[in-house]
Amino acid sequence: MLAALRGSLDRLLGRGTAAVTVPPLDGALKPNNLLENAPHAVGVQEPDNIVLGRQGLMFSSGERVLRLEPAVGAEPVTVITAAGPITAMALAPSGSFAVASDAGGIVLFDEGGRNRTVGSGSGKALSCVTAMGFADDRTLLVCVGSTENAIGDWQRDLLSGGRSGSVWRFDLASGEATQLAGGLGFPNGILAEPDGQIVICESWGKRLVRIGASGRANGPVLEDLPGYPARLSRSARGGYWLSVFAPRSQLIEFIMREPAYRNAMMAEVDPAYWVAPALRSGVSFREPMQGGALKQMGILKPWAPTRSYGLVIELDGNFEAVRSMHSRAGGRRHGVTSAVEQDGVLWVTSKGGDQVVALDLGTDGAK
Amino acid sequence: MASSETPAREIPLRETLARLRYRYFPDHLVGELLSKKWIDNAVPFAVLLCVIATFGFLIPDFFAPKLLVITSRQLGEFGLVCIAMMTVIIVGGIDLSVGSNFALGNFTTLALLNLAGWPVAAVVPVVILVCGAVGFVNGVLVGFFRLRAFLTTLVTLIIVRAVVDMLLLRYAQEMSVSFYDSDIWDLVGMGGVAGVPSSFVVLIVVALIGHVILTRSRPGWRAMAIGGSRRSAHNMGLSVRGTVCGSYTISGMLCGLSGLLYAARLGGAGTDTGMGLEIAALTAAVLGGNSLGGGRGSVVKALIGSVIVLLMTNGVIRLGLNSGSGPMVLGLTLLFAVFVDVRWLKNRDKLLSKVYVSPTYVKLPQPASTDPDSGTPFALNNRLRNVEIIGLGEVESPEDVILDDEDYLFCGNRHGDVLRFFPPDYKTWEVYAHIGGSPLGMAFDRDRNLLVCVGGMGLYKIARDRTVSKVTDETNRSPFSVIDDSRLRLADDLDIAPDGRVFFSEATIRYEMHDWPVDALESRGNGRIICYDPRTGRTHTALRNLIFPNGICLANDGQSILFAESWACRISRYWIDGPKAGKVERLIEDLPGYPDNINRASDGTYWVALLGMRSPALDVALRMPGFRRRMARRIAPDQWLYPNLNTGCVVRFDDTGRVIESLWDLGGLNHPMITSMREHRGWLYLGGISNNRIGRVRLENADQNWSAATAYWGKA
Repeated sequence: MLAALRGSLDRLLGRGTAAVTVPPLDGALKPNNLLENAPHAVGVQEPDNIVLGRQGLMFSSGERVLRLEPAVGAEPVTVITAAGPITAMALAPSGSFAVASDAGGIVLFDEGGRNRTVGSGSGKALSCVTAMGFADDRTLLVCVGSTENAIGDWQRDLLSGGRSGSVWRFDLASGEATQLAGGLGFPNGILAEPDGQIVICESWGKRLVRIGASGRANGPVLEDLPGYPARLSRSARGGYWLSVFAPRSQLIEFIMREPAYRNAMMAEVDPAYWVAPALRSGVSFREPMQGGALKQMGILKPWAPTRSYGLVIELDGNFEAVRSMHSRAGGRRHGVTSAVEQDGVLWVTSKGGDQVVALDLGTDGAK
Repeated sequence: MASSETPAREIPLRETLARLRYRYFPDHLVGELLSKKWIDNAVPFAVLLCVIATFGFLIPDFFAPKLLVITSRQLGEFGLVCIAMMTVIIVGGIDLSVGSNFALGNFTTLALLNLAGWPVAAVVPVVILVCGAVGFVNGVLVGFFRLRAFLTTLVTLIIVRAVVDMLLLRYAQEMSVSFYDSDIWDLVGMGGVAGVPSSFVVLIVVALIGHVILTRSRPGWRAMAIGGSRRSAHNMGLSVRGTVCGSYTISGMLCGLSGLLYAARLGGAGTDTGMGLEIAALTAAVLGGNSLGGGRGSVVKALIGSVIVLLMTNGVIRLGLNSGSGPMVLGLTLLFAVFVDVRWLKNRDKLLSKVYVSPTYVKLPQPASTDPDSGTPFALNNRLRNVEIIGLGEVESPEDVILDDEDYLFCGNRHGDVLRFFPPDYKTWEVYAHIGGSPLGMAFDRDRNLLVCVGGMGLYKIARDRTVSKVTDETNRSPFSVIDDSRLRLADDLDIAPDGRVFFSEATIRYEMHDWPVDALESRGNGRIICYDPRTGRTHTALRNLIFPNGICLANDGQSILFAESWACRISRYWIDGPKAGKVERLIEDLPGYPDNINRASDGTYWVALLGMRSPALDVALRMPGFRRRMARRIAPDQWLYPNLNTGCVVRFDDTGRVIESLWDLGGLNHPMITSMREHRGWLYLGGISNNRIGRVRLENADQNWSAATAYWGKA
């Protein structure tokens, strides 16, 4: 009773749970232009998931998996073409790799080039697979973003407060599938730790949570991120690289508390022009514009409110942010969905900017 | 471009209700009422009504005419003392000696009449002067010698009381046996004017004079200023000491007058006369809303307070409660009044800022498509890509541009200058004249004087010898308007009729120029079109309740003006002459963007600038006023959903409202936004309020010799 009263009072006054505060980009997250100004990049249509294995760097783009060639200026080479747009991929220590698409489900390719479909044994085809990771050669961990909305409809999933995401474990030998966790707000990144625990990026929760190998919830490891987290990979210093694919904003937090407006907008307006986070923005004048984004004397301020942003965060072993690379409002390299480190170079897929960007981390990768 | 795909929707009942509610319930008045100074009286007035209701309910014959007469006679005396207290309080002081002074006035009156046998006409001024002298002593001590008001008047309270007591001891016997008999004196004491007791009439007269002095004269304003901030008042050169001394003197004189009325009513003097009066008067003054800190008070507040206190003390007596309960009720009321006063002062501005913004329901029609393949005249193109840039980095905020017969290019900037660029290449420029404010729309009149709408100032004229003069900065105040809309806040664009009348738009009357986004958020009809007639020198409002009226252009027929309403995305025609004079017709209603200035083209059509484009998400929000109001309260203006003003275009249309073509610059890199355009000798010149440049683009098919100034007024 008291809680309900407080809830409605909060809504009336915009306090407590109804407050629309967004954490500032400060400390290790202080904005810079490292991502925006990095000199080396490969132009590819919507690069999505980049992984590092024995064959080198591979990333997905549309229906294809491409391999980055070491030579400067070389075009990436197509390795595989899947049945439909690839939504996630993962490389196993052994060299085989898994590719997920809504059209073809999860397909496992071994080094010989043979492939087989995973998970069909359970009789349940998985769609909206957002991220995958191998715990070991025979265990594949899978994030399902939402069962209510298709993966292309992720904005609708966010705006309708989606909590239908789940995390699965596939035993590749037996074909057995186990749901480790459910009711998640769009899990969008997954990483198995050496001790068997699993870290999941829960996008709509703006947090990273840890679950045990059997699915027991072990609590959040990082909360209240300034953006919506995507995939997670290991850094060379025992920490992690966290990709953040879109920024939070007060306006969107506010709209999340305005169901009537949200529903009317989703019903009437083309998704490209929604008030929602996006992988890229500023393409059309029909997109919503916020006050601070009004150009003055021909200049868009880099701190202007924006629906899209480019951000990669390096976390240490305790999930504390150490440093970050940004592409700010008005920049091109927005919508970062994955990042992976190789020999002192961080490879970042900017899905919104249609580029795979190489960031030189210095000789040893340290700061 | 989703416009064509957007599904047709039925209007749900809830939306219909919202539309009706926002149409007929004037939300904006709440904020406007709160922004008025006199709204401070609302709380005391409500208390007054409560008191009347309570005692009227508890005491059966509370409103009996006979009792009302007695009460108003008492009020005449008490009200004067409260006004006396208020006079001192507003300059930041306090006068505790009102009670003793009142007793002194009472005694002096009776002594002069009964013992000395003076006529009434002589007694009145003498009594007022005697009590005024006491006030003057207070004033000199507090004002000139800078003693503490509280201590000084406390001392005066004691001394005057002692003097009165000693005099009473000496003369009370003689006074009580003699009796003064006079018709005038009886009229003052017992009679009245048309049934209204004399003392009440005196109070009304004093209150009216006091109100006028306090609110509409220099001494009153100075007293307020000194109470508000003594140091600032001193620094700006006000005579602080003299004014403070004067207010104590007036306080003393009013006490004397009150004492005189008391003497006329009761004709007796006792040691308890005026006892505790200072507490009652102080309570009344504070209860009425006069701030003890000074600088905030009025006669009305003092009167409301005095009525409340009088009714309560009388009521308590009549209820027959025991003797201590009267002061107890008074004390509790004072506590309550101080509490409310503090809270109100602290929160009033917060409340005002929360409720002033009041969005309303707007349903814009489906916009014309801008899809490159749509085949509409709005289809996107790149015809402005090769704009030539003039004055890059040298001019800031050229909202409007205009050229004269000699091809000089004029524009305003945000520093309040009007600049002039030299033909033929427009690479050099000079400050043509400095006006101040934000020069916006411009037009040449028949004599080639440049008329300029200046945001924040009004309509100004730059003569050919560059002298700047004000044309008009106010119009008639609308009847029943709560906020004063006679001053011009945001004169925006103008044009001049053949007979010399100047029609200009005022975009909004509720906000200052730089708060235009708030007006966009409201999208209410806050703007108007104003007409200045040079033949009579008068200004009047021609059209009201327009939604951000912006561009104004005289139609080619000379009988109507075309005007754009930005947030309503429409262009209308207003007939100023001929058979349809006074009528308004809609011309274009489905613009895909927000129209700004309108100007003539060489071939008899018109150019209009779209300063920004509609976004569908904002169009949805426009139908949800509650959503917009909460957005305004919850998040910072930088985060609000705005009209998208980063992309614009130029559109040409004809007299029937048919759109002929549009000119776009898709990247917006060369010339980011457009608020105005002028065609001149085969070129189109572009201005933009958030630009640091002027653009011009060649018009191949246009008349290469056409100039607007000549088209309007003939050869110079």
